[in-house]
Amino acid sequence: MKAALFNPIRYGGPAPAGWPVAPSAYDLEIGRRSLLGGLENLRLADELGFDWVTVAEHHYAGFSLTPNPMVLAGALTQVVKRAKIALLGPTVPILNPVRVAEEYAMLDNLTGGRVIAGLLRGTPNEYVTYNINPAESRDRFEEALALIRRAWTEPEPFGWQGRFYQYRSVAVWPRVVQTPYPALYMSGSSPESGAMAARNRIGLGLAFTTVPLASQAAKFYREEANKLGWNPSTNQVLYRMGFHVAETDEQAMTDMVESGAAKPHVGLTMANKAVLAGAMSSGYFGKAAEEQKERVAPRDATERIEKGQILLGSPETVWKQICRVRDEVGAGILDLFPIVPIADRTRRSIELFGERLLPRLHEN
Amino acid sequence: MAEQCTVSAFVERKVDADSFTIRYLAASPQSNGTDPLICIHGAGGLRLSPMHEMLARTHRLVAFETPGFGSSPANERSRDMAELAATLCAAVAALGIRSYNLMGTSFGGNLATHMALQEGEKVQSLILLSPAVFRPAERPAMGTPEQRREVMHAHPERFPLAPSNPEVDSKQETLVRRLIGPPRDQTLEGKLSGLSVPTLVVFGTEDRLTPPEMARFYRQHFGNAHLMLIYDAAHLVDLDRPEAVTEVVGDFLARKERFLVSERSGVIHP
Repeated sequence: MKAALFNPIRYGGPAPAGWPVAPSAYDLEIGRRSLLGGLENLRLADELGFDWVTVAEHHYAGFSLTPNPMVLAGALTQVVKRAKIALLGPTVPILNPVRVAEEYAMLDNLTGGRVIAGLLRGTPNEYVTYNINPAESRDRFEEALALIRRAWTEPEPFGWQGRFYQYRSVAVWPRVVQTPYPALYMSGSSPESGAMAARNRIGLGLAFTTVPLASQAAKFYREEANKLGWNPSTNQVLYRMGFHVAETDEQAMTDMVESGAAKPHVGLTMANKAVLAGAMSSGYFGKAAEEQKERVAPRDATERIEKGQILLGSPETVWKQICRVRDEVGAGILDLFPIVPIADRTRRSIELFGERLLPRLHEN
Repeated sequence: MAEQCTVSAFVERKVDADSFTIRYLAASPQSNGTDPLICIHGAGGLRLSPMHEMLARTHRLVAFETPGFGSSPANERSRDMAELAATLCAAVAALGIRSYNLMGTSFGGNLATHMALQEGEKVQSLILLSPAVFRPAERPAMGTPEQRREVMHAHPERFPLAPSNPEVDSKQETLVRRLIGPPRDQTLEGKLSGLSVPTLVVFGTEDRLTPPEMARFYRQHFGNAHLMLIYDAAHLVDLDRPEAVTEVVGDFLARKERFLVSERSGVIHP
């Protein structure tokens, strides 16, 4: 197995709930410390032997200070010397796909071919960000994926007359380093997305879900791929979850409680009722609309452990929780994000994971 | 493209309410199922713009002439904004309208806010165009027609404001000055957080009379406000860029807060 440290770069100060959040709540010094602290945690993960470091795209709230993960990845190319840099990722349907292809190519050059190219559909609120119709997200995504692949591999300038995108000429410089292009992943909790990942022969990322639902989605993806005559490797299934490791189970739970992270919280998808209602009526969640409620239901720490949404406890306890994810989901890559927003305890958690759990994980 | 409306969809009528006889312009297209839109004009008096005509294709519109404006007698009876708002609420009721959307422009935005506070759940959405609820302490010079045009319009070449009658202007200005209250009305502000009606607040980026920097106060004080800035429009947003205003107002009337989520197709070719 492999482990990635995902850092959404949360804003470290108080901020109102909801989405979007008024920029007036942003404190410059706290924001700067949050960004630099995030970079330092990812540098530490590289030093400790994490296989990947991961960044993502979210807008308009303190949940994440990386509206453009490409910019943070650019900074990471200068401090992460060994690990792969995974972008999971740009929210492709709301972006200019040629620009995405160009930025990935730059990062692949700056890292000497250590970029993992996630192409995500994102959370529904992100469609408000650039005023894109979420009902068309899947079709936009699939066309953008085809265009980005073509932009990375076509040796001559070409035009593109798509359904959603038109270009008279595309010729990406620099070219990507990896052959034929960086490893691709997309999110695939719904049957529609799982089938899309299978027919496009790309990796599957399962995030902000539960182990039973992820297990079901991974099984579906593998079955769809088999029908098309290929077998996804273990490393083509990624499972993202929260984690906090301390010396003892008691200390881990104390850290959760003291930081306020043990309480149920509402994620971005549910933070704005009007946006959620709009997304639901647009069919954004596809056939898995009912399961989406189960995925994002607010839960306390104990329930989140039971559902396999977080790893929490001593290294020994966390190892058992990891084995469950490995056995039930079959994920080859764990994409782990810190859940205790206290800087020194997060750092200690990353160190404990690196020192006590990474060696065992790599043996499996 | 805006269309020069040579034939208006509106007809003129009168209604008696609160001992006033109130003139109004009404358009009643085939219903699209939404509640009617009640329009409250600004300090310049009742006028229709291309925005009203475009909205009237799909919505029942009623644009009142507030007592004391236009050809109506000077209004020396209404003691404050709340009282004038109550008169307009009575006019709505006299038309048999029980549930409606409400749009106020500039001074009319202030009046409409008072109406919404009084009407509670009858008002389904509140749309404020260049509203004057919060105002800067200083007003730009508007003494000459040229100054007035420069302040009111970013693009007078599109749909210029019709020349006004100095006597009517004077009567209206006297009423507005007497009623409008201070630039920041603490009593009113204290009530606004309880106003949960979905509210769209529209400002032109070039507005110097109610500058777009005022917009943030609506977010901070109203219970449920969404801000929309109209690029390259001044105070008369519905004359400078009527198509842009109509599009967002129409979407808000149809979908309320869900207007946040685009339903416009991005398909270029099937």
